Amino acid sequence: MTENYEKITGPVVSVLIPTFNRPQYLSQALASALQQSYRNLQVIVINDGGKDVSAIVNSFHDPRILFINRKENRGKARSLNEALNRAEGKYIAYLDDDDLYYPNHIETLVNALEYKTDCQVAYSDFYKAYCKVWSDGSRQVLSKVVEVSRDFNRFFMLFFNHVLHVCLMHRRDLIEKTGPYNEQLNVFIDWDMTRRLLFFSDFQHVCEITGEYYHPMGECDRISVQRRKDKNEYLRNVLAIRTTRPPKPWAKVEDMSIIFTTEQLDKQAGKTIGSIWHHTFFPYKLHLPLPESDLHRLNTDMPNLFLVPVNPLSSEAQRIDAVLERCDSKYIGIVPSGFPISDIWIESPLYALINNSVAHQGFEPEGSTDRLWAAVVKKDDLQFARSRFPSLPVRESLKAAGIALRQPAFEEFPFQFDNLLQKAQLAEKDGDWQQAAQMFEYIAEHHQNELWMKRLAANALFKAGDHTRAAELSHKINQHRPTVNTLLLEAKVKREKKNFNSAIELLKTAEKILKGPLLDLSDYYSLSRAQVSENE
Amino acid sequence: MDITQNSVDQQHDLTQHYEVLLELGDCYSSVGNYTQAQQYYEKAAVLAPDEAGPYVGLGVIDLQKNLTEDAEIAFKVACRLDVNCAKAYAGLGLVAQQRAEYKQAFEMYLKCLELDTDNLIALLGLFQTSCQMGSFTKVTYYLEVYLNMHPGDISVMFPLAALYMKDGRFEESKKVLLDILSLDKNHRDAVNLLEEVEHSLAQTKQAGF
Repeated sequence: MTENYEKITGPVVSVLIPTFNRPQYLSQALASALQQSYRNLQVIVINDGGKDVSAIVNSFHDPRILFINRKENRGKARSLNEALNRAEGKYIAYLDDDDLYYPNHIETLVNALEYKTDCQVAYSDFYKAYCKVWSDGSRQVLSKVVEVSRDFNRFFMLFFNHVLHVCLMHRRDLIEKTGPYNEQLNVFIDWDMTRRLLFFSDFQHVCEITGEYYHPMGECDRISVQRRKDKNEYLRNVLAIRTTRPPKPWAKVEDMSIIFTTEQLDKQAGKTIGSIWHHTFFPYKLHLPLPESDLHRLNTDMPNLFLVPVNPLSSEAQRIDAVLERCDSKYIGIVPSGFPISDIWIESPLYALINNSVAHQGFEPEGSTDRLWAAVVKKDDLQFARSRFPSLPVRESLKAAGIALRQPAFEEFPFQFDNLLQKAQLAEKDGDWQQAAQMFEYIAEHHQNELWMKRLAANALFKAGDHTRAAELSHKINQHRPTVNTLLLEAKVKREKKNFNSAIELLKTAEKILKGPLLDLSDYYSLSRAQVSENE
Repeated sequence: MDITQNSVDQQHDLTQHYEVLLELGDCYSSVGNYTQAQQYYEKAAVLAPDEAGPYVGLGVIDLQKNLTEDAEIAFKVACRLDVNCAKAYAGLGLVAQQRAEYKQAFEMYLKCLELDTDNLIALLGLFQTSCQMGSFTKVTYYLEVYLNMHPGDISVMFPLAALYMKDGRFEESKKVLLDILSLDKNHRDAVNLLEEVEHSLAQTKQAGF
């Protein structure tokens, strides 16, 4: 429900629309931004050196538009940074030139940020519209699916993105903390920004569908999709994003220091350091307590390295003590050279530690042995143990100080939701629809993401032949938030039961959603189409 | 574990819009609003020109309007688009039956049932055309297959009982008829046929078989 406030006097929202060589869709996108129920907008269109779209933009004759017509192609990140520099709104929203807002998009998110949460970032859900693209560029929608409707999960977002930029709105002043878009990245510039935002704010998920983005069948023309195909570039970008540490103080993330211990800087040590770089996604600093001579030999591009010179004759414990004196992180990871490192190697024990309510506990990663011992502990615990028992090796000092060490149990691992989801999807793939449905329902009940999981459960139930239950579940979802998928399922069962009029009503709603908002973008749209044809 | 793959559904359903249009066509057809039904079938055919479904729907409407030639064309198009479209063969069976071409109708119904033993229209059509032609060999088999999957469907149980009776399989006929009456004790035709069956059974016993 909309709060009772004067929309025109609400805070200004700056909508950033970067565009590059897609004039055929820009007019629709722009019209959808300008026709928002929330009127207090600044709409910044920035042409990234693509085909001239001045005529299209000018045809709207809307004083809220600010048009930046750059002649050189400098990439999306640069475009967004330029637009951000000119943005005046309290909030920032994003729209790609081939996507669409529904008329309630801005109002829904402003409403959430102003009245319903302390979060400084909010996002809604969008339909992914699968479409056929005809030779004249027009799009024929085949399906509209809310593929992801995921509640905010900071740990997951550090690992991978789960919020589309087009669904996002955030306070503009957060950019002062996160820094601008990274212009060195080729792909995932949106994830890089959402990842940096999460250091400073929680995200509010508004479970409403407020727009749609298009996915053409066959070869997708999106630049980001094309670029993801280059595996090396993909990895370079992912690593750059995962090792990005915005300036402190961080309001929502506690830092971790990893202390790497080795007798000598040899090939194996280099390999372990490289593995840490490639497999760690939680923000970290890597401390290398090494003799000066080794530090001089060190040759790596790895970011976030902290070199700590130590006496060549010092013990492992003394080297760790040397790091402890200088580090300010809340969590400390200790890892020896040669330790087996794979994905989520340190995040599993770290996640257990963060969520553990028992004091004075530390966790060991999988693979930790007496010979190759690794652990994650709270810095306070480690400092306490070292100050009480400085002459003992680190592990023994922790034990002596009463800090219990163990490997996390399965239920303490991160990504429980994703593990279960993967198993349910595997059951689907094997055609075990009943099992899949049960799992989706279980996840919905125990692991958030309720609407998303219930939709998948309804679909699986229908395929399992349990049409009555599928209809019941679809009906519940449709009462809350109708989607094409659940409307269709409910209608099919109504028809089977010869309740034709109810089925027709549901199907008509589904048809309306599929036809989309284009019918409402009347004047702007036809005017701009004419301009496009003229230009072409 | 590659959880990045979980961020999207693995199976992309690309037939949603087509399905909505087809369902709307079917619903409007079922309530007798053939004009609307036809419009939706035509839209569905434009969206998915390789799908047989809309042509089956259009054929059914033509049949309702007694436009058998148009219906035949529509069902044939459906068969051409999908050689395994059971409903299209059932439609062609209905067209042939309306023209009193029982042999042709029988073949079409049979083809339909080979693809979909569940198709009630073809099953009953097969029974009716068999009655017209006096040949029941294949009908009994399909009625039995259908009833195995849909036990308790009286509309099929009764023809099967009649066929058993006709073939002299009185005990089997009696059993089916008693099953019908346990489901619907007022089923007049079943009561009458049961009387006949019991009479025949008594005669058989008397004759010492």
